[in-house]
Amino acid sequence: MKHIIKRVLGFVALALVLTPAVARDITIDLAGEPSSLDPHMQWNPDSYYVYRNIFDNLVTRNNAGDIVPQIATEWEQLSDTELSLTIREGVTFHDGSPLTAEDVVYSVKRITNPDFGSPQLGQFNKIADANVVDGNKVVLVTASPYPALMAQLVKLSIVPMKVVETVGNEAFNAAPVGSGPYIFEEWNRGISVTLTANKDYWGEAGAFDSAIFRAVPDAATRVADLLAGTADLVVSIDADAGAQMAGNEAVKLLSAPTERVGYVGLNLDKPPFNDMQMRKAASLAIDRLGITEGLLQAGEVPLSQMASPAHFGYSEDIPLFDYDPEQARAITAANPDLAATPATLATAPVFDQRIVQAIQQMLNDAGFDISISMSDMPTYLGIVRSEPSENSELSFGRWSCACQDADGITYPTLHSDSNWSRVNVPEIDALLDEARETLDKDVRQAAYTKVHQLVRENFYTLPLYQAAVLYGATAELDFEPTANESMFLNRMSAAK
Amino acid sequence: MRRSRLFRFLLYRGGQALITAFGVVTLVFFIQRLSGDPTALLLPETATQADIEAMRVTLGLDRSLWLQYVDFLGDMLRFDLGRSFVQNISVWEIIASRIPQTLQLAAGALAVALLIGLPLGLVMALTRGRLISRIIMGIVLAFQSMPTFWSGIMMILVFAVWLRWLPSSGTGTLAHLIMPSIALGLLSLATYARITRAAVVDELAKDYIRSARARGVGTGRMVHKHLLRNSLIPIVSITALEISQLLAGAVIVETVFAWPGLGLLTVQSISSRDFLVVQGIVLLGAFVTIFASLAADILYTIVDPRVRLTGKA
Repeated sequence: MKHIIKRVLGFVALALVLTPAVARDITIDLAGEPSSLDPHMQWNPDSYYVYRNIFDNLVTRNNAGDIVPQIATEWEQLSDTELSLTIREGVTFHDGSPLTAEDVVYSVKRITNPDFGSPQLGQFNKIADANVVDGNKVVLVTASPYPALMAQLVKLSIVPMKVVETVGNEAFNAAPVGSGPYIFEEWNRGISVTLTANKDYWGEAGAFDSAIFRAVPDAATRVADLLAGTADLVVSIDADAGAQMAGNEAVKLLSAPTERVGYVGLNLDKPPFNDMQMRKAASLAIDRLGITEGLLQAGEVPLSQMASPAHFGYSEDIPLFDYDPEQARAITAANPDLAATPATLATAPVFDQRIVQAIQQMLNDAGFDISISMSDMPTYLGIVRSEPSENSELSFGRWSCACQDADGITYPTLHSDSNWSRVNVPEIDALLDEARETLDKDVRQAAYTKVHQLVRENFYTLPLYQAAVLYGATAELDFEPTANESMFLNRMSAAK
Repeated sequence: MRRSRLFRFLLYRGGQALITAFGVVTLVFFIQRLSGDPTALLLPETATQADIEAMRVTLGLDRSLWLQYVDFLGDMLRFDLGRSFVQNISVWEIIASRIPQTLQLAAGALAVALLIGLPLGLVMALTRGRLISRIIMGIVLAFQSMPTFWSGIMMILVFAVWLRWLPSSGTGTLAHLIMPSIALGLLSLATYARITRAAVVDELAKDYIRSARARGVGTGRMVHKHLLRNSLIPIVSITALEISQLLAGAVIVETVFAWPGLGLLTVQSISSRDFLVVQGIVLLGAFVTIFASLAADILYTIVDPRVRLTGKA
């Protein structure tokens, strides 16, 4: 009898597991539910994983990271401050209405309108004006030359003017209408968002009839869902959770280096790190390879500059920092009083504390006196953005500009105008300004290379590693993770 | 005479509840503001100081703290919890959508705790001093000591990943409710088992049981007719306390099982820095507690006239 019950239950379970595969649906476990489905509002992974499938963007990046056409089929720089984009014809929104150049201009003006209050405003506010020209062209005007413009336009979704104007922002967020490969079906608040395939999509259609994005906050549960066969793809897992999947042939681990850069910021106005030798000793004491391969283990790569290979402006010519704890100790031993000046390392709960603790220990082993100062995120932000005199001696940070351009990371962390920067070096300021004000790629690359060299030689800040992102997927799922952490359903497929 | 005393008592307790509510509202407002400027968190890291200032104006955070406080009190009087900065819909709408799930889970957990805890307590009392009683007590203590984040994930591993009998997470069917209810119910189960045991042991020592035994009444009939009924009083009063325990414990269980109740909403709102939603949940919890204790006090005076209506009951 027991045997029969077990068999019946086994069949029921098997049937439950197999059903989704037959219907060619995909279930994706995210850490949280989207904050908004209006692509002009919140900009966080759990939101854009979903709404990037509902909307088309002006341009996009292919899996290799190159900027390629999407709604704009071609573009031309008319002058240093004017960019002309040709709008694709024959694209329709999910309500059947055509996508026009007016919708593009409306989308630009909506997200750049300060009254609209988009958290993404800072990414687009260099755009001063947008106009329709010749019916199907849009000219974007920037106040000054803005080399990162195309990189920012990768994130600009096109919304239907008529729908938004008719229903209002709140109703649009609750039931978004886009032109993308998937159509919004249902938002079960707190639980899941369901999308269905857009059969009339102008581009490459998705392989799945429908997609369910679920909010599963616990990483161990997300992995369990994958192992139990109730999820096809899970995000935001760490190497420990990934280790649970080892040896199971039904699932696989996917990873990609991102454009997030982990670094230690130094206060150059306070002892001990106002002294170049002390900064050098600190750098020599930190085992970057130990952090990436021993602690993180998800495919992170040690870095020698405040940029990653995923950024424009990364330089191949900057050698990695040496790890030599003996030499570090020799330097601190030469000036023990200065090295032993009590210093704090500011951090917040959002960061991986294993790294912070490892850095503290490595520095203290080298003769420094470092204590960790952990505070909530607002307090941490207050500390790291304050004047040097009030700032901590050290801070751990992880920077992402989501633009894959060195401007988005070097300017905020190294330019004296930025409230994040504790570096105040006129030569670096001039180079960063130069790279920001020209569209000439060679001039920009040369300026960034020089900045990286200056930072590397003077240890103005200590780049650590390029962060990686880890996904768990069923063995059948074909999905290539990218540096910009996108998750386009129409670039995935599942072997039958 | 008694009527006017009852009225005075109600007025006094009602006033007390109002003062408590005012205190909670004030405390919540200022503690939230102490934790720093939420604008910095709502904007990307790349935001400039000008972007931050613009956002502060949009959200009304540029006004003086006192002005914000007065506005906040006005909103509270209108039961307006505000709009979520992150989701851009009313906080009340977000919270209300999660209440049914929270109640379902609390009911499921309570059912597990009562249906297993009571019989276990009874068996422990009836077999006290014997090995079986000690074994059950050991198991009950183990249930109480297991952290829910561990017991939850273990259950998922066994029943969802290995046996595939139950769904690993989420909501929708009765099957989804089983594991979260057990994980959450195990905590209260231990309390019920121990309280029941103590209550039944107390009753067993009383004269009426002895005389029933002397009359030759069988154990089954004695338990059913006499013991359970009289032991129920402390069990009923502990239930009120347990419900608030269940709601607190639900934060972890809901997170592990992706159960979309208020506990999970709290965690999600904290991590997405949606501070008005966090504030709404805290206020809701505080008001429910204040109201429940007021209602209990009033009911008590009605049910048991011996309670003195001095207002200090």
